[in-house]
Amino acid sequence: MSALSKLANVDSRVFYWILFIALMVPFLSPIGFPITIAENTRDLYEGITDDEVEEGDVWIMNFGYGVSAWPECHPSVTVCTKALFREGAKIIFMGPHYDVELTYNKIHDTVRDDFVDKVYGEDYVFLGYITGGESAIAQLASNIRSVYPVDHFGTPLDELSMMQGVNTHEDIAGVLSSDTGDYGVHFMTQWQAAYGSKLAEIGIAMNGSTDLPRWQAGNYFGLSIGSRGGAELEILIGELGEATTAMDSISVSHLLLIFAVILGNIGMVVQRRSS
Amino acid sequence: MSQILRREAVYAFTGIITILMILEYFFWPTPQIWADTIRTWAIIVFNISLGLGAIRLLMQQSMNVQKRRENWQYSAMLLSLFVVMLLTGFAGYFATGLQTSNGIYDWLFINIYTPLGATLYPITGFYIFSAAYRAFRARNVDAALMLIAGCFVMLKNAPVGEAIWIGFATIGNWFQFTGQIPGMRTFSIVGAFGLMAYGFRALLGKERGFYAGGE
Repeated sequence: MSALSKLANVDSRVFYWILFIALMVPFLSPIGFPITIAENTRDLYEGITDDEVEEGDVWIMNFGYGVSAWPECHPSVTVCTKALFREGAKIIFMGPHYDVELTYNKIHDTVRDDFVDKVYGEDYVFLGYITGGESAIAQLASNIRSVYPVDHFGTPLDELSMMQGVNTHEDIAGVLSSDTGDYGVHFMTQWQAAYGSKLAEIGIAMNGSTDLPRWQAGNYFGLSIGSRGGAELEILIGELGEATTAMDSISVSHLLLIFAVILGNIGMVVQRRSS
Repeated sequence: MSQILRREAVYAFTGIITILMILEYFFWPTPQIWADTIRTWAIIVFNISLGLGAIRLLMQQSMNVQKRRENWQYSAMLLSLFVVMLLTGFAGYFATGLQTSNGIYDWLFINIYTPLGATLYPITGFYIFSAAYRAFRARNVDAALMLIAGCFVMLKNAPVGEAIWIGFATIGNWFQFTGQIPGMRTFSIVGAFGLMAYGFRALLGKERGFYAGGE
Protein backbone atom coordinates (compact mmCIF):
# COMPACT_ATOMS: atom_id res chain seq x y z
CA MET A 1 0.00 0.00 0.00
CA SER A 2 1.50 3.33 -1.08
CA ALA A 3 1.74 6.31 1.22
CA LEU A 4 -0.92 8.13 -0.76
CA SER A 5 -3.44 5.31 -0.44
CA LYS A 6 -3.02 5.39 3.34
CA LEU A 7 -4.57 8.85 3.27
CA ALA A 8 -7.94 7.19 2.85
CA ASN A 9 -7.78 5.62 6.31
CA VAL A 10 -6.11 8.02 8.69
CA ASP A 11 -6.83 7.31 12.35
CA SER A 12 -9.43 9.68 13.85
CA ARG A 13 -7.12 10.47 16.75
CA VAL A 14 -4.62 12.03 14.35
CA PHE A 15 -7.29 14.46 13.19
CA TYR A 16 -8.39 15.18 16.75
CA TRP A 17 -4.86 16.23 17.67
CA ILE A 18 -4.32 18.27 14.50
CA LEU A 19 -7.65 20.04 15.04
CA PHE A 20 -6.96 20.63 18.71
CA ILE A 21 -3.55 22.18 18.00
CA ALA A 22 -4.79 24.18 15.01
CA LEU A 23 -7.69 25.63 17.02
CA MET A 24 -5.23 26.86 19.64
CA VAL A 25 -3.41 29.10 17.16
CA PRO A 26 -6.10 31.74 16.54
CA PHE A 27 -6.85 31.99 20.26
CA LEU A 28 -3.17 32.59 21.05
CA SER A 29 -2.59 34.84 18.08
CA PRO A 30 -5.82 36.17 16.45
CA ILE A 31 -5.68 36.33 12.66
CA GLY A 32 -8.64 38.64 12.03
CA PHE A 33 -10.01 37.67 8.65
CA PRO A 34 -12.41 40.29 7.27
CA ILE A 35 -16.10 39.46 7.81
CA THR A 36 -18.79 40.61 5.41
CA ILE A 37 -22.30 41.25 6.74
CA ALA A 38 -25.08 39.00 5.47
CA GLU A 39 -28.34 40.65 4.45
CA ASN A 40 -30.37 38.68 7.01
CA THR A 41 -28.11 39.85 9.84
CA ARG A 42 -28.25 43.45 8.66
CA ASP A 43 -32.06 43.23 8.58
CA LEU A 44 -32.05 42.03 12.18
CA TYR A 45 -29.82 44.85 13.35
CA GLU A 46 -31.72 47.51 11.45
CA GLY A 47 -34.99 46.14 12.81
CA ILE A 48 -33.94 46.79 16.41
CA THR A 49 -32.26 50.15 15.99
CA ASP A 50 -33.05 53.73 14.99
CA ASP A 51 -36.62 54.39 13.87
CA GLU A 52 -37.69 50.78 14.30
CA VAL A 53 -37.65 51.03 18.09
CA GLU A 54 -39.31 53.73 20.13
CA GLU A 55 -38.40 54.62 23.67
CA GLY A 56 -40.55 52.62 26.08
CA ASP A 57 -41.35 49.84 23.61
CA VAL A 58 -41.58 46.46 25.32
CA TRP A 59 -39.71 43.60 23.62
CA ILE A 60 -39.55 39.93 24.48
CA MET A 61 -36.17 38.21 24.54
CA ASN A 62 -36.77 34.48 24.45
CA PHE A 63 -33.92 32.29 25.73
CA GLY A 64 -34.59 28.95 24.08
CA TYR A 65 -31.03 27.71 24.28
CA GLY A 66 -28.90 26.11 26.92
CA VAL A 67 -25.33 26.36 28.05
CA SER A 68 -24.13 24.11 25.23
CA ALA A 69 -25.35 26.63 22.62
CA TRP A 70 -23.92 29.71 24.33
CA PRO A 71 -21.05 30.03 21.82
CA GLU A 72 -23.53 30.12 18.94
CA CYS A 73 -26.46 32.12 20.28
CA HIS A 74 -25.21 34.28 23.09
CA PRO A 75 -23.06 36.77 21.13
CA SER A 76 -26.08 37.73 19.00
CA VAL A 77 -28.33 37.95 22.06
CA THR A 78 -25.75 40.15 23.76
CA VAL A 79 -25.64 42.59 20.84
CA CYS A 80 -29.43 42.66 20.48
CA THR A 81 -29.89 43.34 24.21
CA LYS A 82 -27.37 46.18 24.04
CA ALA A 83 -29.03 47.64 20.95
CA LEU A 84 -32.52 47.51 22.46
CA PHE A 85 -31.43 49.04 25.76
CA ARG A 86 -29.60 51.82 23.94
CA GLU A 87 -32.76 52.63 21.99
CA GLY A 88 -34.64 52.98 25.27
CA ALA A 89 -36.65 49.80 24.89
CA LYS A 90 -37.79 47.69 27.85
CA ILE A 91 -37.09 43.97 27.75
CA ILE A 92 -38.94 40.93 29.06
CA PHE A 93 -36.47 38.06 29.47
CA MET A 94 -37.99 34.59 29.54
CA GLY A 95 -37.29 31.16 28.15
CA PRO A 96 -38.48 27.61 27.56
CA HIS A 97 -35.06 26.07 28.24
CA TYR A 98 -34.23 24.83 31.72
CA ASP A 99 -30.94 26.74 31.55
CA VAL A 100 -32.84 30.01 31.30
CA GLU A 101 -31.66 31.28 34.68
CA LEU A 102 -28.02 30.61 33.80
CA THR A 103 -28.46 32.42 30.51
CA TYR A 104 -30.14 35.34 32.26
CA ASN A 105 -27.18 35.59 34.66
CA LYS A 106 -24.85 35.37 31.68
CA ILE A 107 -26.56 38.25 29.89
CA HIS A 108 -26.09 40.34 33.03
CA ASP A 109 -22.41 39.59 32.73
CA THR A 110 -21.98 40.18 28.98
CA VAL A 111 -24.13 43.32 28.90
CA ARG A 112 -22.87 44.55 32.27
CA ASP A 113 -22.29 48.19 31.28
CA ASP A 114 -25.76 48.60 29.79
CA PHE A 115 -27.48 47.16 32.85
CA VAL A 116 -25.84 49.74 35.15
CA ASP A 117 -28.44 52.45 34.65
CA LYS A 118 -31.36 50.06 34.17
CA VAL A 119 -33.75 49.26 36.99
CA TYR A 120 -35.33 45.85 37.46
CA GLY A 121 -39.09 46.07 37.11
CA GLU A 122 -38.92 49.42 35.32
CA ASP A 123 -36.61 48.74 32.38
CA TYR A 124 -36.48 44.97 32.30
CA VAL A 125 -38.02 41.94 33.95
CA PHE A 126 -37.14 38.28 34.13
CA LEU A 127 -40.18 36.04 33.95
CA GLY A 128 -38.17 32.79 34.08
CA TYR A 129 -38.82 29.31 32.83
CA ILE A 130 -41.89 28.47 30.79
CA THR A 131 -43.22 25.02 29.99
CA GLY A 132 -46.10 23.98 27.79
CA GLY A 133 -44.57 24.09 24.34
CA GLU A 134 -46.51 25.79 21.58
CA SER A 135 -49.65 26.06 23.74
CA ALA A 136 -47.77 28.21 26.22
CA ILE A 137 -46.44 30.48 23.48
CA ALA A 138 -49.97 30.83 22.08
CA GLN A 139 -51.30 31.60 25.53
CA LEU A 140 -48.63 34.25 26.09
CA ALA A 141 -50.01 36.10 23.07
CA SER A 142 -53.46 36.34 24.59
CA ASN A 143 -52.76 36.57 28.33
CA ILE A 144 -49.25 36.80 29.69
CA ARG A 145 -50.48 36.70 33.29
CA SER A 146 -52.16 33.36 32.84
CA VAL A 147 -48.76 31.85 32.03
CA TYR A 148 -46.66 34.02 34.32
CA PRO A 149 -48.73 35.30 37.28
CA VAL A 150 -45.42 36.19 38.97
CA ASP A 151 -41.90 36.84 37.72
CA HIS A 152 -38.96 34.52 38.37
CA PHE A 153 -38.44 36.03 41.82
CA GLY A 154 -42.05 35.59 42.90
CA THR A 155 -43.19 39.19 42.44
CA PRO A 156 -46.70 39.51 40.96
CA LEU A 157 -46.53 41.11 37.51
CA ASP A 158 -48.94 43.85 38.56
CA GLU A 159 -46.39 45.04 41.11
CA LEU A 160 -43.77 45.59 38.41
CA SER A 161 -44.20 49.05 36.91
CA MET A 162 -42.93 47.98 33.49
CA MET A 163 -45.63 45.31 33.26
CA GLN A 164 -48.51 47.69 33.99
CA GLY A 165 -50.81 47.42 31.00
CA VAL A 166 -48.66 44.79 29.32
CA ASN A 167 -50.59 41.55 28.94
CA THR A 168 -51.08 40.56 25.30
CA HIS A 169 -49.29 40.52 21.96
CA GLU A 170 -50.68 44.02 21.31
CA ASP A 171 -48.55 45.40 24.12
CA ILE A 172 -45.35 43.85 22.80
CA ALA A 173 -43.39 45.74 20.13
CA GLY A 174 -41.38 42.75 19.00
CA VAL A 175 -40.02 39.34 19.84
CA LEU A 176 -36.46 38.12 19.52
CA SER A 177 -36.41 34.35 19.82
CA SER A 178 -33.05 32.74 20.31
CA ASP A 179 -33.27 28.99 20.30
CA THR A 180 -31.83 25.71 19.18
CA GLY A 181 -35.15 24.16 18.28
CA ASP A 182 -38.75 24.96 17.57
CA TYR A 183 -39.54 28.01 19.66
CA GLY A 184 -38.86 30.48 16.85
CA VAL A 185 -41.40 28.53 14.80
CA HIS A 186 -43.88 28.54 17.71
CA PHE A 187 -43.61 32.33 17.90
CA MET A 188 -43.95 32.47 14.13
CA THR A 189 -47.19 30.45 14.07
CA GLN A 190 -48.75 31.86 17.24
CA TRP A 191 -47.57 35.49 17.12
CA GLN A 192 -46.26 36.54 13.71
CA ALA A 193 -48.68 34.61 11.49
CA ALA A 194 -51.66 35.00 13.80
CA TYR A 195 -51.32 38.68 14.78
CA GLY A 196 -48.55 40.08 12.57
CA SER A 197 -46.17 40.54 15.50
CA LYS A 198 -42.65 41.62 14.70
CA LEU A 199 -40.38 38.61 15.09
CA ALA A 200 -36.71 37.83 14.52
CA GLU A 201 -34.75 34.66 15.05
CA ILE A 202 -31.32 34.09 16.52
CA GLY A 203 -30.54 30.49 15.75
CA ILE A 204 -27.71 28.00 15.62
CA ALA A 205 -25.82 27.43 12.38
CA MET A 206 -27.36 23.98 11.95
CA ASN A 207 -30.84 25.54 11.72
CA GLY A 208 -29.76 28.20 9.22
CA SER A 209 -31.09 26.23 6.27
CA THR A 210 -34.57 25.99 7.76
CA ASP A 211 -34.60 29.57 9.06
CA LEU A 212 -33.46 31.31 5.88
CA PRO A 213 -36.66 30.61 3.91
CA ARG A 214 -38.69 32.09 6.79
CA TRP A 215 -36.61 35.25 6.72
CA GLN A 216 -36.94 35.44 2.92
CA ALA A 217 -40.70 34.98 3.21
CA GLY A 218 -40.89 37.83 5.74
CA ASN A 219 -41.91 35.77 8.75
CA TYR A 220 -38.71 36.85 10.45
CA PHE A 221 -37.77 40.49 9.92
CA GLY A 222 -34.17 39.49 10.58
CA LEU A 223 -32.09 36.42 11.25
CA SER A 224 -28.78 35.76 12.89
CA ILE A 225 -27.20 32.40 12.12
CA GLY A 226 -24.77 30.91 14.61
CA SER A 227 -21.60 32.54 15.81
CA ARG A 228 -21.01 33.97 12.34
CA GLY A 229 -24.22 35.98 12.77
CA GLY A 230 -22.99 37.03 16.20
CA ALA A 231 -19.69 38.24 14.73
CA GLU A 232 -21.54 40.22 12.07
CA LEU A 233 -23.74 41.84 14.73
CA GLU A 234 -20.67 42.69 16.81
CA ILE A 235 -19.25 44.49 13.78
CA LEU A 236 -22.53 46.31 13.20
CA ILE A 237 -22.71 47.59 16.76
CA GLY A 238 -19.01 48.36 16.73
CA GLU A 239 -18.01 46.26 19.73
CA LEU A 240 -16.06 43.13 18.87
CA GLY A 241 -16.48 40.21 21.24
CA GLU A 242 -16.54 36.44 21.66
CA ALA A 243 -18.02 35.67 18.25
CA THR A 244 -15.43 37.68 16.35
CA THR A 245 -12.70 35.79 18.20
CA ALA A 246 -14.38 32.50 17.36
CA MET A 247 -14.47 33.34 13.65
CA ASP A 248 -10.76 32.66 13.28
CA SER A 249 -11.22 29.22 14.80
CA ILE A 250 -14.11 28.58 12.44
CA SER A 251 -11.93 29.57 9.50
CA VAL A 252 -9.13 27.27 10.62
CA SER A 253 -11.42 24.31 11.33
CA HIS A 254 -13.32 24.69 8.03
CA LEU A 255 -10.10 24.90 6.05
CA LEU A 256 -8.69 21.86 7.82
CA LEU A 257 -11.88 19.93 7.18
CA ILE A 258 -11.78 20.67 3.46
CA PHE A 259 -8.10 19.72 3.42
CA ALA A 260 -8.87 16.43 5.19
CA VAL A 261 -11.71 15.65 2.78
CA ILE A 262 -9.43 16.29 -0.20
CA LEU A 263 -6.76 14.03 1.30
CA GLY A 264 -9.32 11.30 1.93
CA ASN A 265 -10.51 11.48 -1.66
CA ILE A 266 -6.98 11.37 -3.04
CA GLY A 267 -6.35 8.29 -0.92
CA MET A 268 -9.55 6.68 -2.18
CA VAL A 269 -8.67 7.31 -5.85
CA VAL A 270 -5.15 5.91 -5.41
CA GLN A 271 -6.52 2.85 -3.60
CA ARG A 272 -9.01 2.20 -6.40
CA ARG A 273 -6.37 2.49 -9.11
CA SER A 274 -3.95 0.20 -7.35
CA SER A 275 -6.58 -2.45 -6.76
CA MET B 1 -67.93 1.02 29.06
CA SER B 2 -64.17 0.93 29.51
CA GLN B 3 -63.77 0.42 25.77
CA ILE B 4 -65.90 3.50 25.09
CA LEU B 5 -63.91 5.56 27.57
CA ARG B 6 -60.66 4.25 26.22
CA ARG B 7 -61.31 4.83 22.54
CA GLU B 8 -64.45 6.69 21.52
CA ALA B 9 -64.26 9.27 24.30
CA VAL B 10 -60.64 9.99 23.45
CA TYR B 11 -61.48 10.33 19.74
CA ALA B 12 -64.40 12.63 20.46
CA PHE B 13 -62.51 14.75 22.96
CA THR B 14 -59.51 15.17 20.63
CA GLY B 15 -61.77 15.98 17.69
CA ILE B 16 -63.84 18.59 19.52
CA ILE B 17 -60.79 20.36 20.96
CA THR B 18 -59.06 20.34 17.56
CA ILE B 19 -62.05 21.84 15.78
CA LEU B 20 -62.52 24.50 18.46
CA MET B 21 -58.89 25.57 18.30
CA ILE B 22 -58.88 25.65 14.49
CA LEU B 23 -62.00 27.83 14.55
CA GLU B 24 -60.49 30.21 17.07
CA TYR B 25 -57.20 30.51 15.17
CA PHE B 26 -58.72 31.17 11.77
CA PHE B 27 -62.06 32.86 12.44
CA TRP B 28 -61.57 35.16 15.43
CA PRO B 29 -59.23 38.13 15.16
CA THR B 30 -58.71 38.22 18.93
CA PRO B 31 -58.12 35.40 21.41
CA GLN B 32 -61.28 33.94 22.97
CA ILE B 33 -61.73 33.23 26.68
CA TRP B 34 -62.81 29.63 26.11
CA ALA B 35 -59.74 29.04 23.94
CA ASP B 36 -57.58 30.59 26.68
CA THR B 37 -59.04 28.07 29.11
CA ILE B 38 -58.27 25.16 26.79
CA ARG B 39 -54.70 26.38 26.25
CA THR B 40 -54.22 26.78 30.00
CA TRP B 41 -55.35 23.18 30.44
CA ALA B 42 -52.93 22.09 27.74
CA ILE B 43 -50.11 23.77 29.67
CA ILE B 44 -51.22 22.05 32.88
CA VAL B 45 -51.31 18.67 31.16
CA PHE B 46 -47.88 19.38 29.66
CA ASN B 47 -46.51 20.08 33.14
CA ILE B 48 -48.07 16.92 34.52
CA SER B 49 -46.37 15.01 31.71
CA LEU B 50 -43.02 16.40 32.85
CA GLY B 51 -43.66 14.98 36.32
CA LEU B 52 -44.73 11.67 34.84
CA GLY B 53 -41.61 11.63 32.71
CA ALA B 54 -39.44 12.12 35.79
CA ILE B 55 -41.23 9.30 37.64
CA ARG B 56 -40.90 6.99 34.63
CA LEU B 57 -37.21 7.84 34.33
CA LEU B 58 -36.62 7.05 37.99
CA MET B 59 -38.50 3.75 37.70
CA GLN B 60 -36.53 2.70 34.64
CA GLN B 61 -33.15 3.64 36.10
CA SER B 62 -33.98 1.99 39.45
CA MET B 63 -34.79 -1.24 37.59
CA ASN B 64 -31.44 -1.02 35.79
CA VAL B 65 -29.65 -0.80 39.13
CA GLN B 66 -31.75 -3.50 40.80
CA LYS B 67 -31.21 -6.01 38.00
CA ARG B 68 -27.57 -5.00 37.41
CA ARG B 69 -28.24 -4.46 33.72
CA GLU B 70 -25.48 -3.36 31.36
CA ASN B 71 -24.02 0.05 32.37
CA TRP B 72 -26.10 0.05 35.57
CA GLN B 73 -23.43 2.28 37.12
CA TYR B 74 -24.63 5.19 34.99
CA SER B 75 -28.17 4.64 36.24
CA ALA B 76 -26.88 4.69 39.81
CA MET B 77 -25.07 7.94 39.10
CA LEU B 78 -28.21 9.46 37.61
CA LEU B 79 -30.27 8.47 40.65
CA SER B 80 -27.71 9.86 43.09
CA LEU B 81 -27.43 13.16 41.25
CA PHE B 82 -31.20 13.37 40.97
CA VAL B 83 -31.46 13.08 44.75
CA VAL B 84 -28.67 15.62 45.31
CA MET B 85 -30.25 18.22 43.01
CA LEU B 86 -33.70 17.58 44.44
CA LEU B 87 -32.53 17.97 48.03
CA THR B 88 -30.42 21.07 47.37
CA GLY B 89 -33.30 22.57 45.42
CA PHE B 90 -35.72 21.95 48.28
CA ALA B 91 -33.19 23.19 50.82
CA GLY B 92 -32.88 26.44 48.89
CA TYR B 93 -36.62 26.76 48.59
CA PHE B 94 -37.26 26.31 52.31
CA ALA B 95 -34.39 28.61 53.24
CA THR B 96 -35.02 31.47 50.83
CA GLY B 97 -38.44 30.91 49.28
CA LEU B 98 -36.76 30.66 45.87
CA GLN B 99 -36.04 27.41 44.07
CA THR B 100 -32.52 28.00 42.86
CA SER B 101 -30.94 30.55 45.14
CA ASN B 102 -28.92 28.54 47.56
CA GLY B 103 -25.15 28.20 47.52
CA ILE B 104 -24.85 24.45 47.00
CA TYR B 105 -27.36 24.33 44.17
CA ASP B 106 -25.69 27.30 42.46
CA TRP B 107 -22.24 25.82 42.99
CA LEU B 108 -23.27 22.52 41.41
CA PHE B 109 -24.80 24.31 38.46
CA ILE B 110 -22.05 26.84 37.85
CA ASN B 111 -19.05 24.61 38.50
CA ILE B 112 -20.21 21.24 37.21
CA TYR B 113 -23.19 21.57 34.93
CA THR B 114 -22.16 24.74 33.07
CA PRO B 115 -18.63 23.59 32.11
CA LEU B 116 -19.93 20.14 31.16
CA GLY B 117 -22.70 21.66 29.04
CA ALA B 118 -20.31 24.10 27.41
CA THR B 119 -17.88 21.28 26.61
CA LEU B 120 -20.43 18.82 25.28
CA TYR B 121 -21.36 20.73 22.13
CA PRO B 122 -17.85 21.69 20.96
CA ILE B 123 -16.70 18.07 21.38
CA THR B 124 -19.15 17.09 18.65
CA GLY B 125 -17.06 19.26 16.32
CA PHE B 126 -14.26 16.70 16.58
CA TYR B 127 -16.61 13.85 15.74
CA ILE B 128 -18.11 15.78 12.84
CA PHE B 129 -14.60 16.41 11.53
CA SER B 130 -13.73 12.74 11.65
CA ALA B 131 -17.10 11.66 10.25
CA ALA B 132 -16.92 14.15 7.38
CA TYR B 133 -13.45 12.91 6.46
CA ARG B 134 -14.76 9.35 6.21
CA ALA B 135 -18.14 10.05 4.65
CA PHE B 136 -17.37 12.81 2.14
CA ARG B 137 -16.00 10.59 -0.59
CA ALA B 138 -16.72 11.24 -4.26
CA ARG B 139 -17.72 7.65 -4.99
CA ASN B 140 -20.08 8.70 -7.77
CA VAL B 141 -21.22 11.84 -9.60
CA ASP B 142 -23.99 12.65 -7.06
CA ALA B 143 -21.60 12.39 -4.13
CA ALA B 144 -19.02 14.50 -5.98
CA LEU B 145 -21.58 17.24 -6.63
CA MET B 146 -22.67 17.26 -3.00
CA LEU B 147 -19.05 17.38 -1.91
CA ILE B 148 -18.24 20.34 -4.15
CA ALA B 149 -21.36 22.25 -3.07
CA GLY B 150 -20.60 21.53 0.60
CA CYS B 151 -17.04 22.83 0.26
CA PHE B 152 -18.21 26.05 -1.37
CA VAL B 153 -20.84 26.66 1.32
CA MET B 154 -18.26 25.98 4.06
CA LEU B 155 -15.82 28.41 2.45
CA LYS B 156 -18.62 30.95 2.17
CA ASN B 157 -19.49 30.61 5.86
CA ALA B 158 -15.90 30.84 7.08
CA PRO B 159 -14.34 34.29 6.69
CA VAL B 160 -11.16 32.70 5.36
CA GLY B 161 -13.02 31.68 2.18
CA GLU B 162 -13.56 35.27 1.13
CA ALA B 163 -10.02 36.14 2.16
CA ILE B 164 -8.69 33.51 -0.26
CA TRP B 165 -11.02 34.35 -3.13
CA ILE B 166 -14.15 36.52 -3.14
CA GLY B 167 -15.73 34.12 -5.62
CA PHE B 168 -16.15 31.50 -2.88
CA ALA B 169 -18.80 33.71 -1.25
CA THR B 170 -20.60 34.33 -4.54
CA ILE B 171 -20.67 30.66 -5.47
CA GLY B 172 -21.51 29.59 -1.90
CA ASN B 173 -24.41 32.05 -1.84
CA TRP B 174 -25.63 30.71 -5.15
CA PHE B 175 -25.63 27.17 -3.77
CA GLN B 176 -27.42 28.31 -0.63
CA PHE B 177 -30.00 30.75 -2.00
CA THR B 178 -30.66 29.26 -5.43
CA GLY B 179 -29.98 25.63 -4.71
CA GLN B 180 -30.89 24.95 -1.13
CA ILE B 181 -33.62 27.39 -0.05
CA PRO B 182 -36.15 26.34 -2.72
CA GLY B 183 -35.55 22.75 -1.63
CA MET B 184 -36.14 23.64 2.02
CA ARG B 185 -39.30 25.54 1.10
CA THR B 186 -40.61 22.55 -0.82
CA PHE B 187 -39.71 20.31 2.08
CA SER B 188 -41.53 22.62 4.56
CA ILE B 189 -44.66 22.90 2.42
CA VAL B 190 -44.83 19.17 1.78
CA GLY B 191 -44.23 18.55 5.49
CA ALA B 192 -47.10 20.92 6.36
CA PHE B 193 -49.43 19.09 4.00
CA GLY B 194 -48.33 15.82 5.56
CA LEU B 195 -49.09 17.21 9.00
CA MET B 196 -52.57 18.28 7.84
CA ALA B 197 -53.18 14.82 6.41
CA TYR B 198 -52.05 13.28 9.69
CA GLY B 199 -54.39 15.61 11.59
CA PHE B 200 -57.36 14.62 9.45
CA ARG B 201 -56.54 10.94 9.81
CA ALA B 202 -56.29 11.38 13.58
CA LEU B 203 -59.66 13.17 13.63
CA LEU B 204 -61.24 10.35 11.64
CA GLY B 205 -59.79 7.78 14.03
CA LYS B 206 -57.52 6.26 11.42
CA GLU B 207 -54.28 7.32 13.03
CA ARG B 208 -54.14 5.61 16.38
CA GLY B 209 -50.49 5.84 17.32
CA PHE B 210 -51.04 8.57 19.90
CA TYR B 211 -54.00 6.84 21.57
CA ALA B 212 -53.29 4.45 24.41
CA GLY B 213 -51.79 1.26 23.09
CA GLY B 214 -52.14 2.32 19.49
CA GLU B 215 -54.52 -0.51 18.72
